Amino acid sequence: MPDFHPRIIGFLCNWCTYAAADLAGSSKLELPPEFTVIRVMCSSRIDHNLILSTFYRGADGILVAGCHPGDCHYGEGNYYARRRFALLKKVMETLDLEPERLELRWVSAAEGNRYAEVVNEFTDRIRKLGPSPIRTSTRL
Amino acid sequence: MSETGTGKTEMTARVGVYLCECGPNIAGKIDLDKVMADILSESDRYRNVELVIRRYGFLCSGPGKQYLEDEIKENGLTHLVVAACSPRDHDSTFMGVCARTDLNPYLYRIVNIREQCSWVITDPEEATERAATYIRGSISRVLRQSSLFEKPLEINPDAVVIGGGAAGMEAALALSSDLRRVFLVEKSASLGGGCGITMPQEKAVIEDPNVDIYLETQMSSVIGFLGNFEIGLKSADGKDEEITAGAIILAIGSDYSDPQESGRISFSESDEVHILAEAERTLEAAGDLKLRDGTMPETIAVVHCVGREEQGYCSGVCCSSSLKLAAAIRRLSPETAVTSVYRDLCLPGADGENVLRMARESGVELIRTKGTSLSGMELDLEKMDGTSEKRSFDMIIPAAAIVPAADTVSLAEMLRIPLDEHGFFKEAHRMTDPAGTTTEGVFIAGTAHGPMSVMSSMRFARACAGQVLTRLVPGERIVPEVKVTEILEAYCTGCGNCLDVCVYGAIYADTDRGISVVNEAVCRGCGNCFASCPSGALRTRHFTNEQIFREVDEALR
Repeated sequence: MPDFHPRIIGFLCNWCTYAAADLAGSSKLELPPEFTVIRVMCSSRIDHNLILSTFYRGADGILVAGCHPGDCHYGEGNYYARRRFALLKKVMETLDLEPERLELRWVSAAEGNRYAEVVNEFTDRIRKLGPSPIRTSTRL
Repeated sequence: MSETGTGKTEMTARVGVYLCECGPNIAGKIDLDKVMADILSESDRYRNVELVIRRYGFLCSGPGKQYLEDEIKENGLTHLVVAACSPRDHDSTFMGVCARTDLNPYLYRIVNIREQCSWVITDPEEATERAATYIRGSISRVLRQSSLFEKPLEINPDAVVIGGGAAGMEAALALSSDLRRVFLVEKSASLGGGCGITMPQEKAVIEDPNVDIYLETQMSSVIGFLGNFEIGLKSADGKDEEITAGAIILAIGSDYSDPQESGRISFSESDEVHILAEAERTLEAAGDLKLRDGTMPETIAVVHCVGREEQGYCSGVCCSSSLKLAAAIRRLSPETAVTSVYRDLCLPGADGENVLRMARESGVELIRTKGTSLSGMELDLEKMDGTSEKRSFDMIIPAAAIVPAADTVSLAEMLRIPLDEHGFFKEAHRMTDPAGTTTEGVFIAGTAHGPMSVMSSMRFARACAGQVLTRLVPGERIVPEVKVTEILEAYCTGCGNCLDVCVYGAIYADTDRGISVVNEAVCRGCGNCFASCPSGALRTRHFTNEQIFREVDEALR
């Protein structure tokens, strides 16, 4: 698939990772054009519906990123996010959707370089995985 | 529907889309004219929407803001999209522009085409395409946004201080100096706390007409939020009282670890073993340290770092206190031999070395060991050269570690604030909000926050008072967050999941109606409850799934 341009959604927490994205921006780091940022207040507000519907709407990969454990702006939201993700990954398996298409990472406001690394790595991973089976399946 | 004057003005949304050039920062990479043309070319995608799309040099500049304000008014915009920089830079700037017009600030949206397009996407064509995608997502989203209205609340500028030690008294005095009424609540029968010396604040606070002192009293309940707390007090004789205040300062102090906890130290009740704080207090009150039989001890050992390994942290203040005490004993009773047994000396700060010099000059014997154990009155010293020595003393003073006060856990639960890994109250943020907590209006001062010197306790007390004075200004009102969660009662089954996950205690159960209810003044809008709701009964305003899906759909189109 030489011409495959994945469609990737990044849900970023307002307080840490969105700020890291700003830092990556002001540091003029290179980021892939396939990656769309959507700002949310906290990683803990990401419910199963938002993730699965985003896949069913045609995303090839979803990155959720928030504050490091212990650093959540709202105290402990990221711990809840982590627990929900453990379940979500299992649900994805039953849907024949590779769990690697969903990733939860912690990136603090100070980690602009790390943000760029995480986004570039994840985008490469999705490029290798190819289009989401939801997009290509005739079953759906 | 791009024509005006169709007679359907009520049906038609007029969305203004303004692209900021940000000098060369945006316009130097992104072909803004192409973005505008692309979006306009498919404006018939939006039903009953009229698009006004323009570009401008610097929208955040004075003339830029005026331009935007005029555009909103002249075009009668119902919605506004500003494609510019990060919302972290100028979201509030443009919300402020909206506020000067009839346009509700929550019907506006900023799109970040600088940090997320022009600065990070190398290829200008790709950056241009991305910018158009982001802007389309925001046009689509802004049409799903709702007006939100801020509801300013009256505030109570008074404060409750829990704990009448050094930090609590200092905070009370600082607040009183601004003529705030302070309720100073102390669990024991006297003020002073655990700092070991009589602070001058004690007399001042007793004489202060603005400070109401409640001795032998504890906080038994609390409801409310910043500016409006109702606090239940219970006194030792069983009397209940309710007071109201705008803020709560926790200055409950700390305890000392049990020296015998480690197993390396054992002694009995009858042994002359007294922890450092106790010895400091006796010396300050009596002027000397006597044995129980009334005679003066000939030899005293002060043992540093007792409990440090067990607690897993250095209390940071006990080396200095231990050496000061040792020197004071030498000064007051020169015939007593004093030995300080330490492993590592922790004497930070500009004055640290002076304390050591003072101890040396007063004739305190300093012995460095790899480890020390105590059995009865005999110390077993493991010397640095590998040998060991047993020495008996008439009195042993272990410097026990500073540990959280017993009430820390129950107060933390009552106020819904987290504890740190060692069990002290956790601050809202180590660096940016060290005196605040995750519960707005609740602040921490002194060793309730972790081991610290009396001097640092004073600083924290002043910081807390400063927060109260600036956050709660008499006559001013506060504006609670409006992007909060609401409950759609018809869908709520009253399962209580949301109550369990809310760290702010913003949701309570209405058992009569069998549903959960949000206290909007306490909610901060994180949305954790939303994700925990199995029946879709919760909606986080301004960040609903419906709104977010508009962004998703445009990105995946």
